[in-house]
Amino acid sequence: MEVKVFQFNGCKKCFNESLLLKEGAKYKVEYVSNPKNWKGEKVDVSVITGYLLPGNLEHLENIKNNSNRIIAYGDCTVTGGVFALANQKGHDVTPLANLIEDSNSVHGCLGEIEELKLAIDGVEVPKLKNLCQVCARKATCDYMEAINRQIELEDSETCFNDLGFLCSGFNATECKEKCIDYNTPCRGCKPSIDRSGIRMLAMFGTLAGNIEIATEHNENGATDKLADEEDDVTRNLPDIVGNFFRFTLPTSGLPKGRIPSSGTLLEDVFIGRLIEEIPLISGLLGGAKSIYLTLKFIEPYENANQIEVSAQAKKYREELLQLETELQGAIDKENASAYKEITDKIRFIAGNMNLSNVFFGGFKSIIDPNDDFNEYKTHVFDVVEGTYKNGSIEYAIDSDGIITEIKIKEG
Amino acid sequence: MNDSEISDDYVKERINNIVIFMCNECGQGSANTAGVARMSYNPAFRIIRVQCTGQVGPIQIMDALTNGADAVACVGCCLGACHFFNGNIISMHRIKLLKKVFKELGYSDQFVNQYTSRAAEGETAVGDFENIVERLTTAIKEKGTIKDGS
Repeated sequence: MEVKVFQFNGCKKCFNESLLLKEGAKYKVEYVSNPKNWKGEKVDVSVITGYLLPGNLEHLENIKNNSNRIIAYGDCTVTGGVFALANQKGHDVTPLANLIEDSNSVHGCLGEIEELKLAIDGVEVPKLKNLCQVCARKATCDYMEAINRQIELEDSETCFNDLGFLCSGFNATECKEKCIDYNTPCRGCKPSIDRSGIRMLAMFGTLAGNIEIATEHNENGATDKLADEEDDVTRNLPDIVGNFFRFTLPTSGLPKGRIPSSGTLLEDVFIGRLIEEIPLISGLLGGAKSIYLTLKFIEPYENANQIEVSAQAKKYREELLQLETELQGAIDKENASAYKEITDKIRFIAGNMNLSNVFFGGFKSIIDPNDDFNEYKTHVFDVVEGTYKNGSIEYAIDSDGIITEIKIKEG
Repeated sequence: MNDSEISDDYVKERINNIVIFMCNECGQGSANTAGVARMSYNPAFRIIRVQCTGQVGPIQIMDALTNGADAVACVGCCLGACHFFNGNIISMHRIKLLKKVFKELGYSDQFVNQYTSRAAEGETAVGDFENIVERLTTAIKEKGTIKDGS
């Protein structure tokens, strides 16, 4: 079967992952990294990766006219993905289904190659379990006592939401990346229902039901009403859009954002996000440079705020950077087996290709049972207002830990 | 938008669709009492009776707003007086989160609100309605309607 994989905008992680289609020589795969210059020839299945803008419609129509079937692969194409957070600042990242009709979807960030293979074969994906069913943590679904932004790593048995640390696993399906295994709560890249973000908002509102909320006196008629001021519920949730709608903002039913854009689309994705979420976000959208980008964000903050990084943690980080260079080599040579081998090694250290295990001060979960975890274990850190710079990346955070300004000089 | 150019009355005249989810107990009770006492209120209000405001979530609110409502509000029982358990408090938490989402997207947070009322006093429902229009008018003059630019 002839398969063509097209990369549109954004990180190339899913595009690179589709290299694994070459394994077993079942499909005749070709890669088109610049669909604008593609002349157009008949093909059985077209796989679309990367985020889409309305300006891509013409090229998408060209692909549709030449293909028997179209598959949207990865969250960026299916629901807008993490790049769609820029829609908060007026950008127009659009899901494939809004641009052309009759396409199949493979969710996930990173999209799962086994599901893509099934979709190419025209086989329905078996019904997946809910993420909570495969989670090692146990939920009581009791009301939470407080909302926390960072948790201690000691407790690995209680549900993140019970600990007051919002996790969207309630309406996500099981996945390969499985951030929850690396002390990272789910952000819902594989939702089990439509408009998952807004449903999670309702669920979380219920779970937070015991936390005191600000009310005020309504003089007209003399009753009470919900106050507009900050209270315990909102104070610890400075970035609801970035946490609940990280992958699904354009499909959530919320209106398009009106915050003025302050730079490029990539910079707009980062502005408004929280410092403790930055390693995961840069891991999500960094593509083949995600490790480099993530460490560029982490290191200046660690240096400026005297967060100690052990020799063991540094060794693991260097290993990761080395693996990333090797990975690029495997991608350039279109060598599927080398790609698989190297990504397995990256997964061993970083948890998954989204780098869930990488954090400020070290790693979130044990890497090698032979090592002493305490040596490279990360811990809760303080949010310190300031400007942090590391070569090509410069960012400023305010006293709440929200990124207010950012400059990324390289692509 | 400049305050000196547009009057409050001009804005109020153009508010013609406000969806109110009223709970079957105190909320709807107070509206009934207001009706018995022949109190009048703005005809822009469309009341939807629900068993409890705890039934209403961001999905229903967003559906109302995307289908043409200028604003949405929930009117439930007084604090501590929910006829079920704590539906009014849960609804308040959800609306608080939704208000924050609106702020984060650059909109006014006055398109959604939650009030309480007392079934025996019709003026509480009418007072809530008046407050909704006042707050919405100020919000529209400052930041435009939810339909602008989306």
